[in-house]
Amino acid sequence: MQVNPAARKGLSAEESRALTRKVLSFAKADNTRVNIDSGIRGFTRTAINRVTTAGVTEDVNIRITSVFGKRIASIDTNRLDDASLERAVRECEALAKISPENPEYMPELGEQKFGEVNGYYTSTGDVTTESRARAASFAVKAADAAKLVASGFIDVNAGSSAIATSKGLFGYAAGTGVSSTLTIRTPDGASSGWAGDEGADWTTIESERVAQDAVRKCQEWRGKTALEPGKYEAILEPTAVGMLMLRMMNVFDARQADEGRSFLSKRGGGTLLGEKLFDERVNIISDPVEKNAETAPFTGAGQPLSRDVWVEKGVLKTLSYSRFWADRKGVAPKPGGSNFVMSGGTATVDDMIKDTKRGVLITRFWYIRGLNPRIVSFTGLTRDGTFLIENGKITRPVTNFRFNQSLSEMLANIQMLGRPTRVCASENSSVGPPIVVPALKVKDFFLSSVSDAI
Amino acid sequence: MENSIGRREFVKIAGGAGAALIFGGYEEALAWQARNAPGPDAAEKDLVLLALDAAKAAGANYADVRITRGQSESISTRERQITGVGKSETYGIGIRALVGGSWGFAATRDLRKDAVTKTAKEAVAIASGNNNINPVKTTLAPVKKVPDGRWITPHEIDPFTIPIEEKAALLFKTNEEALRVKGVRFVTSSINAIKESRLLGTTDGSMIQQTFMRLGPNVTVTAVPADNSDFQTRSATLAPMGKGWEYIVSLQLSENVLRWAEEAVMKLSAPPVEPGVWDLVLHPSHLWLTIHESLAHPTELDRAMNYEANYAGTTFLAPPEKVLKKFKVGPEFMTIMGSRSEPGGCATCGWDDEGVPAQSWPIIDKGIFVNYQSTREMVDWISSITKVRESQGCSYGQDWASIPFQRMPNVSLMPNSKDVSEDEVIAATKHGIYIEGDGSYSIDQQRYNFQFGGQVFYEIKDGKRVRMLRDVAYQARTPEFWNSLSMIGGKSTYKLGSSFSDAKGQPMQLNAVSHGCPVSLFRNVNVISTA
Repeated sequence: MQVNPAARKGLSAEESRALTRKVLSFAKADNTRVNIDSGIRGFTRTAINRVTTAGVTEDVNIRITSVFGKRIASIDTNRLDDASLERAVRECEALAKISPENPEYMPELGEQKFGEVNGYYTSTGDVTTESRARAASFAVKAADAAKLVASGFIDVNAGSSAIATSKGLFGYAAGTGVSSTLTIRTPDGASSGWAGDEGADWTTIESERVAQDAVRKCQEWRGKTALEPGKYEAILEPTAVGMLMLRMMNVFDARQADEGRSFLSKRGGGTLLGEKLFDERVNIISDPVEKNAETAPFTGAGQPLSRDVWVEKGVLKTLSYSRFWADRKGVAPKPGGSNFVMSGGTATVDDMIKDTKRGVLITRFWYIRGLNPRIVSFTGLTRDGTFLIENGKITRPVTNFRFNQSLSEMLANIQMLGRPTRVCASENSSVGPPIVVPALKVKDFFLSSVSDAI
Repeated sequence: MENSIGRREFVKIAGGAGAALIFGGYEEALAWQARNAPGPDAAEKDLVLLALDAAKAAGANYADVRITRGQSESISTRERQITGVGKSETYGIGIRALVGGSWGFAATRDLRKDAVTKTAKEAVAIASGNNNINPVKTTLAPVKKVPDGRWITPHEIDPFTIPIEEKAALLFKTNEEALRVKGVRFVTSSINAIKESRLLGTTDGSMIQQTFMRLGPNVTVTAVPADNSDFQTRSATLAPMGKGWEYIVSLQLSENVLRWAEEAVMKLSAPPVEPGVWDLVLHPSHLWLTIHESLAHPTELDRAMNYEANYAGTTFLAPPEKVLKKFKVGPEFMTIMGSRSEPGGCATCGWDDEGVPAQSWPIIDKGIFVNYQSTREMVDWISSITKVRESQGCSYGQDWASIPFQRMPNVSLMPNSKDVSEDEVIAATKHGIYIEGDGSYSIDQQRYNFQFGGQVFYEIKDGKRVRMLRDVAYQARTPEFWNSLSMIGGKSTYKLGSSFSDAKGQPMQLNAVSHGCPVSLFRNVNVISTA
């Protein structure tokens, strides 16, 4: 990828290195770590078919971590002049000295080898207020043409993160992210449709497709009628799947499982590592170089991140180990994944509909909250497009539902899988950790009660 | 210091006897502010004036400028060890400009004069661009200018003066007490302290310096049986509060943790609830969140006008002309007040982010929905119905980098004017569940269908608490639920519950907010088991 360094947002590698060196030169602690996050955020928000707010924010955040023995403290600041930085280092060291020891503290890392990630797309970094407004206008025009009401959000991030330690570690990665989401409603508030897209590369964002899909959903959901709650075959569009899988990102943790606090804990002790938990077509990996879903190749503590296979053919293959827990258990440390990539199949949503005798098509979810960690169950609601399928066809729009569902059970109940795609999985539609998932058809998805919400 | 409004008079005419019980002591509070609230830093004031001038020169018909310096200090522990000690500081300037009827916003951490001028021009350029594409009308409600406003969170002890060792010692003592209870395997505890200086200048001529302090404590105990076959947690769900360190002292953490630890262990052997229809006696440590989700959010005016349709959602209380002064939310004895001046409230302030003075006003009066939460640009949308011509002061931006918009004030259920005790409320319950502490919570985007869990649950039989239950959640539809409110406790049962992290807006911003309420009884609610 060709980039013009002059146009990049956020600090360059050289600037980051110079800044971390300066902070480290002030340090007197046994060990010091510096993390820098810098960049811009540009946003455009629309409602009632017009731009309601737009803006741009520039910031640089420095986190200093000071360590004396096992006494550790950290300070975040965005004041970058020499005097402020030195004061922050002194304050952090004073705080560390008086902090009680953390017996689980692991020494700072020295130089590490990080894989190369090209996660900065100039197509995204160069997005202007005008280009965001143009993209937003697709939605407004589509809504105006259909006599509907558009509310949308375009979120653009571009910047870099860097890490350095007093033991000689240095890491730098630049990255970009963009999300575009749109809700279309009827003027009387009787129907609502949603569509969205997310990526690292602005050129992959399909603003026109998003506008068309949201308008279509809104039009098709008109005249919704009641459907009895219960267990249904459910076709979950990729965004719906991604919103649930976002909750699976941090569940593969060895310590929680070893301590008996996870659905991966084995009764009587130990973990379910190596056991088949899900449908055999379930494969879950994380990989910082995943195209259009890139992340920095290191953690906030400077551990290298590379491709990890968490679940293969439905079998739990890997658990993450913090450096402390790995040391305790005598295994290699393994940080959790920074993105979530689930493999899929070849089915389209239309194929899934054709294959369904009686089921429900779900566009996305809302207000997902944990219920019972022993079975990784969650509650939440369907939103912006829910339809009944009968004998291979969508027969009518139906009311929204609250669901109460175990995710491990859902991954065991898969019937069909679509092609994986990156989705906007955060409920607030800002760019989140990259989630790449397929549409799924699952059996026995529990829709527990009706919601009147539109 | 400038006066805020005559709150006592306002409450007297519009909040009923219950409201008068809660919002007393107005003159004393003013005198305390006059003694304690600091004025603005001279250099910051110059930068605010520079930005306002630059925005006006670039063509803004209105602008407001915020310099905020947010500091936080957090300490967290598990069992006998520290898991984190940290401080943070974020400092910068945010400029909001109105050109024609369109808003533009720009913000930077760079506080050099040329950068501030450039940022002000950028905010105006963004506003102009939006105005050229799609000109709209925006009417700002009148506000009295406040040339030298000063306010600070009422407190006795600044939490930032307490050494970190003292905070750690308190948490370790608390953890140790919990670990003495047989069956307790894990305990985490933390204290998060926030201090924020916020200087606001507006082209209307206001210059307001405020300092906010908030404290968020947490203790969570986990019990695990010897064979790892289960685990149960009991979070103390302690309310974050706009107060000083004296609040933490008043919580008596190391004494009260024994009860939380014992309850975590009791949950392991408690029977799961029998799903069905139950009466519910809801403690304020639980009910605050139900109020937050089912009443406070749906009464945000921007939601009623589709501004939040793509994220937080709209509301069942819309359109305004069909519901204002008409919709019966609950029984006649139910009064819900919006307030930016409730003592200890996390959303309590002297003025909002548009320089509108803190005030209290009825949102639900005698069970009828009578007003929304509003900012200056929103008043005009409904003033023909409400006859209210001024903003209720609900504008807030999370920090310098965030555009201010309509955020929730403290929204509270007023207590019974008679001092009804918790025991009396329980005694009035034949077949019920007493719920303490907030648990899992979820509600739809128009705030109809909700499901709430809790921390501890006790069965009430024939007016007495008889045994602990577990895995309880209730599902209800907002209007039916609130119309099933059958009894409320008096002032002695009234407490605040709070959150530091109420999310709304795109980009998403967090707001700290509190909700006060008495112990309350609801009849015939649908209870499910989460086992």
